[in-house]
Amino acid sequence: MGTKRQITEYLDIDLEKELWCCNRCGRELISARENYKKGCRVYVRKDLTTIYGSALKGPFTFAPDPEWAMLVEFYCPGCGVMVENEMLPPGHPVTYDIELDIDELKKKYLKAEKK
Amino acid sequence: MRPDPQKLLQWIKPNKPTEKELECLKLLQPGDYEIYTEKLNNFLLESKEVFLKLGVSSMLRSGDLVTGIYAPSGEMVAAWCGTYLHAVIGQLPIKYVAETWLKDPTVGCKDGDIFYCSDPLYGGIHNCDQIVVMPVFNEGELIAWTNAAVHQPETGACEPGGMPLTAKTRHDEGMLLSPIKIGENFRLREDLVEMCVNLMSRAPRMQAIDMRARLSAADRLRSRLVALAKEKGNDFVKGLFRRIIIEAEEGTRRRIREWNDGTYRAVTFMDIVGEKHRLVRNFLTLKKEGDTLTWDFTGTSPETDSPQHCMPHGLAANVAIHLMSYSFADLPVSAGIFGPMDWKVPEGCMFNPHFEAAQSNSAPSCHGAMTLGTICMSKLMFDSPQRELVAAAIGNTGVGVLISGVNQWGVPVADFLAFGLNTEGHGARSDMDGVDAFGFSHCPSGRAPDVEDIENEFQFLNLVAKLSRDSGGFGKFRGGSGTETIYAVNYVDYALYNSHVKGSKIRNCLGLFGGYPPPTLPGIEVKHTNLWEKMKRGDKDIPTGAVQLITERAIKGDYEISSIFKKVHVMENGDMWVVFSGGGGGYGDALERDPRAVIEDLKKQAISPWTAENVYRVVYDPKTLDLDEEETIAFRRKEREDRISRSLTWDEFQKEWSKLRPPEEVLEYYGSWPDGKKTREIIRM
Repeated sequence: MGTKRQITEYLDIDLEKELWCCNRCGRELISARENYKKGCRVYVRKDLTTIYGSALKGPFTFAPDPEWAMLVEFYCPGCGVMVENEMLPPGHPVTYDIELDIDELKKKYLKAEKK
Repeated sequence: MRPDPQKLLQWIKPNKPTEKELECLKLLQPGDYEIYTEKLNNFLLESKEVFLKLGVSSMLRSGDLVTGIYAPSGEMVAAWCGTYLHAVIGQLPIKYVAETWLKDPTVGCKDGDIFYCSDPLYGGIHNCDQIVVMPVFNEGELIAWTNAAVHQPETGACEPGGMPLTAKTRHDEGMLLSPIKIGENFRLREDLVEMCVNLMSRAPRMQAIDMRARLSAADRLRSRLVALAKEKGNDFVKGLFRRIIIEAEEGTRRRIREWNDGTYRAVTFMDIVGEKHRLVRNFLTLKKEGDTLTWDFTGTSPETDSPQHCMPHGLAANVAIHLMSYSFADLPVSAGIFGPMDWKVPEGCMFNPHFEAAQSNSAPSCHGAMTLGTICMSKLMFDSPQRELVAAAIGNTGVGVLISGVNQWGVPVADFLAFGLNTEGHGARSDMDGVDAFGFSHCPSGRAPDVEDIENEFQFLNLVAKLSRDSGGFGKFRGGSGTETIYAVNYVDYALYNSHVKGSKIRNCLGLFGGYPPPTLPGIEVKHTNLWEKMKRGDKDIPTGAVQLITERAIKGDYEISSIFKKVHVMENGDMWVVFSGGGGGYGDALERDPRAVIEDLKKQAISPWTAENVYRVVYDPKTLDLDEEETIAFRRKEREDRISRSLTWDEFQKEWSKLRPPEEVLEYYGSWPDGKKTREIIRM
């Protein structure tokens, strides 16, 4: 693991390099001081029957209304694992969901490592 | 006289200990804290059982209730949960009574007094939630308060069922009681009971019985505390109470300090406003710094002329359900947990509306915020010793479906169908699937009522009650399945039915770390059916599930698939309807789910063959359900390659995405797009 901390199921932070990395393939994504989603491949799933099926027909089914919601999926560019997804109304800004205090993190864990 | 909303919010936090309390702490000998906190918990368990056995309405019978012990200052010391939010807000009417009526010569407070309240402006959640409060005196000294609270499914509002979707202001919502003295000398005043029962003319029996059930529970707790004080002394009780609050606060701060400093954000969307399908946004910025957490709901859509609002203290109490049942579940259920918490809820948003706003739907309006709390806390706790508590969101549809009218015994009723309410799926966790039909998002310990029991109470047949296929969010770990129930009006000519369930357009339940949110929920009704004829004939094709009902159409009738959210309307004898409770969110990438677990899901019909192939990308023999491991590996590898080729870089995505926007009609109540700021004044009549 070295100076990496696992922050989510699919994301590590390399504390020395200050980079988000894929936990599965090690691919370096983007600066740890940025939204990790900017370092991912992004796919907008507009037809949600591709996930929720089409057992029912018409305006009310088991899939969200595409005028109301789309799934934005974030993949690791190295291995294609789905790091995260967001169900958003079309055009709604993507959420900056994890903004860690990198300086505090380095102080906490790099210091502990050196000890 | 009415407390300021900010004051109510502050009242959730513990007070600074008094010098007297610090002195009393010294009376506790080694082992006393452990022995007597357990004793308090036993008192609570007993009072809960009294409550449960004496009441009659559905949520009460399901255990969606609370009994609690509070310090003389009103701070929460211990509670049986039950509904954690009631435990938290239980402090506020007590603090109001202590501050306002205790020394008022026209009211006062003495041994045997009984206070009663339901108004959210005085610390309640919504006016369905009625709370009884009793002071506890020993040797002439006020040593504690007890309470008992549960949702009353009728309020005398402009629609049956206590949560009117057409309410525009609080004046449409029926009985709203500021804390009043409703009894003296350990007895309810019958004139005031009659006033309440008279206001609940749609369901007077439930009101009359449940009021007494509340009082019996609070009084049993009171009598046990008096016995404890007689045995150990009043000062010992004071010391014990303060020690519990201190332990909870210190434990909470210690745990928070271990977590990574940072800012965590999440957003959810609700699809109903009043009687319409409209979009509103809930936004949370959770900041963890040192040993404190700041909950900031800036960015949440503005207030409207609907009943979908909540006061800031109610919002905090709803979010606290996660804190008390997960993050700090091993600490005492006391005010101490809220010592390190601060709350920012901007004035004018749907969680801090004008006092004239209707807010009878406050609890269901907080489901999106409850999801936000779970998701932000899970992201905060992943890199911590609490990783095992990480989970996607509970279903959070708040299955508020209500039936009213006169039942088969000639008794007027207005009540929840509490089966769906208490069988939502739990979110998948970092190490296992979510629990199927876990329970009620407001009450982890609630239980679905017995089908025979509710058929005896209400005017319908419960044709189907089962886990719903494909209802949990897909992922490496699957969200717990929700349920589907099918009802038909029985015995009587007609019944009234309405539903406050959200999620036909977009769900406010989220998955976690690539796990998918669960599916949306359609509304299904079949009118003018031949169900009874078919049952009399013993036909074998009577459906055993919602999809079968709608696709095979073995029952003749007029089929309607629309929103699951329904205004109050008449259902005639033999008319049928479906209730779905929402599944929980998924955890992790579905392509990482163990293929053997997918086969198991197929065997128990938790998922469909379509989902196994198209979402989980598993190859198997459809006849034998034997897994083809090699083909599955290849199928999944291909999908990962396809993901990379079909997706865009961030800049390419932003260029296309920023051109999109939902239709204007959908955004009628949203506020400014996309940040949800207030764009107009609400004029209430």
